[in-house]
Amino acid sequence: MSAPTSARTLSPAADASALTAGPLLSINGLTKHFPLKGGLFGQSRGVVRAVDGINFDVAEGETLGIVGESGCGKSTTARLLVDLISPDSGSVILGGRTLGVDLTVRDLRRQVQMVFQDSYASLNPRLTMQDAIAFGPMVNGMARDKAVALARDLLARVGLDPGRFAGRYPHELSGGQRQRVNIARALAFSPKIVVLDEAVSALDKSVEAQVLNLLADLKAELGLTYIFISHDLNVVRYMSDRVMVMYLGQVAEIGPVDALYAAPAHPYSQALLAAMPSMDPDRRTMEAPLAGDPPNPINPPSGCRFHTRCRQADGVCSVTVPVLHALPQKGHLASCHLHIPGSGHTGAAPRRELAP
Amino acid sequence: MSSASFETIATEGTSPGYWSGVLRRLGRDPVAMFALLVILAMVLMAVFAPLIGPADPYRGQMLRRLRPIGTPGFPLGTDELGRDMLTRLIYGARLSLLMGVTPVFIAFFIGSAIGITAGYLGGKVNTVLMRTVDVFFAFPSVLLAIALSGALGAGIFNGLLSLTIVFIPPIARIAESVTTAVRKIEYVEAARASGASALTIVRVHVLGNVIGPIFVYATGLISVSLILASGLSFLGLGVKPPEPEWGLMLNTLRNAIYVQPWVAALPGAMIFITSISFNLLSDGLRSAMDLKS
Repeated sequence: MSAPTSARTLSPAADASALTAGPLLSINGLTKHFPLKGGLFGQSRGVVRAVDGINFDVAEGETLGIVGESGCGKSTTARLLVDLISPDSGSVILGGRTLGVDLTVRDLRRQVQMVFQDSYASLNPRLTMQDAIAFGPMVNGMARDKAVALARDLLARVGLDPGRFAGRYPHELSGGQRQRVNIARALAFSPKIVVLDEAVSALDKSVEAQVLNLLADLKAELGLTYIFISHDLNVVRYMSDRVMVMYLGQVAEIGPVDALYAAPAHPYSQALLAAMPSMDPDRRTMEAPLAGDPPNPINPPSGCRFHTRCRQADGVCSVTVPVLHALPQKGHLASCHLHIPGSGHTGAAPRRELAP
Repeated sequence: MSSASFETIATEGTSPGYWSGVLRRLGRDPVAMFALLVILAMVLMAVFAPLIGPADPYRGQMLRRLRPIGTPGFPLGTDELGRDMLTRLIYGARLSLLMGVTPVFIAFFIGSAIGITAGYLGGKVNTVLMRTVDVFFAFPSVLLAIALSGALGAGIFNGLLSLTIVFIPPIARIAESVTTAVRKIEYVEAARASGASALTIVRVHVLGNVIGPIFVYATGLISVSLILASGLSFLGLGVKPPEPEWGLMLNTLRNAIYVQPWVAALPGAMIFITSISFNLLSDGLRSAMDLKS
């Protein structure tokens, strides 16, 4: 992998536009509960709180990384963003227009596209690469010859020679090549935002680096905005401008990547970053930063969802749900009672006149 | 979206080379080609029966009943009424292929439509459609065919109709399970994320990936259909004597099994050859449709 800062310098305007022009995408209180049906007549036996009231903004031209353990709601969030599943409540606001009010699902999907983890399952085994890419534009009214020309153009753009690859089937390509095709397919709509749901996680390291560089190049060329979901903290750091840490369907912490990686505020973020394998033998983690599995999202813990595993948990943590609270650093928020002045946590600062 | 783009993507869009590739691979499969030749021979036999058949299939001679295979003038012997077996087997191909193939063919379309609809839409639509199908599925197929034929009355058309109804539920079941599996694969999700309508997604992304297994299963039902049709005929509900039909001939000759076992087994052999040819052809088709092979 090349210098870890190169990706971020591709979008120098990201920080400024986040504050001035208003966010490109704004997520408010997004919630998705999956009902658990069982028994003879399919009675409801509770709900899985996959995503439980999350808020975040994405500025135009930035890359927002989303990290968290398996089952924390990363992929559900991704699917909600392109309306592959409908939220139970909450709003998706894209460019000032609210989904379901003055923004149709169709418009949303033209502007927000997704790349999935499994490069092979993402491609119809019976469609050639050029047909797979041309499908989207064609169902949106583009003539076939134009769509095919666009598909071949996009293949070239993602580094695949159209003369060699346009007529091939998915099984004739390697994983990295297939993922390039999936990226090309997402780009066929000229989207503003591309949601990359573990898009490079299944690739081996050298191919992963190539695809990441391709993504960075495309972003610079086309002025894209990425929502980059991964469990690989190094990759997220390389790709992202800001990072969002999720835990059990909620946002634990969100902030600029350098600030968050340098000084994680939420105890969960601290544990997550401490779990990163270190290259320095003197800084090896001798003790597991966190024990056990995340609690069951069917019956999440009361109060702060992390309190069952948190070393700094206090009485207030099991009672009151912490809200995202701004930290001293600009744009850095964490939902932990430790950082909410006057929250009642013994480690928290006393209440001040006005939160910074 | 225009219906023109629909057409192109469903036909050419599935890549111009796909179906020609399937045919090319099928052509390289000697077993499938042999089966295809046998089926073609059967069809030709049925079409040109009056030209090939050496005798009158209806005229019997009581003095020449149950002659063994190889009797001069009767190369395959005679049946229990002294009719020429060879002629009757040739003529029998007409009704047998009609009774065996037609119900499965029609049920293949209706059953696939029900199953793919239920499988793709899921939820309540699935529950309503599949529970209805299950009601029919609960009856043994023979019993259902007999009950339907009995209710509708005897005759070839009613026989075909009841057999069609019998074969819809199993085909719908297979179609539903295959479609449910395909619907969860990410390329279908990606197609949904492209804003395509359900119909387009089914045509372009689902159909091609589910039709193979359904088709293979359906061709396996042709042999069952032949046997069921003969059962109906035996009960006086389908084809009636003296019409030559393999199943009916098998039934009427079963009394002669101790006198002329080889002659009595001939209609069964025809059913066996026909159904195994369809099975082998469908197996070949399945591997030819598999792009990875």
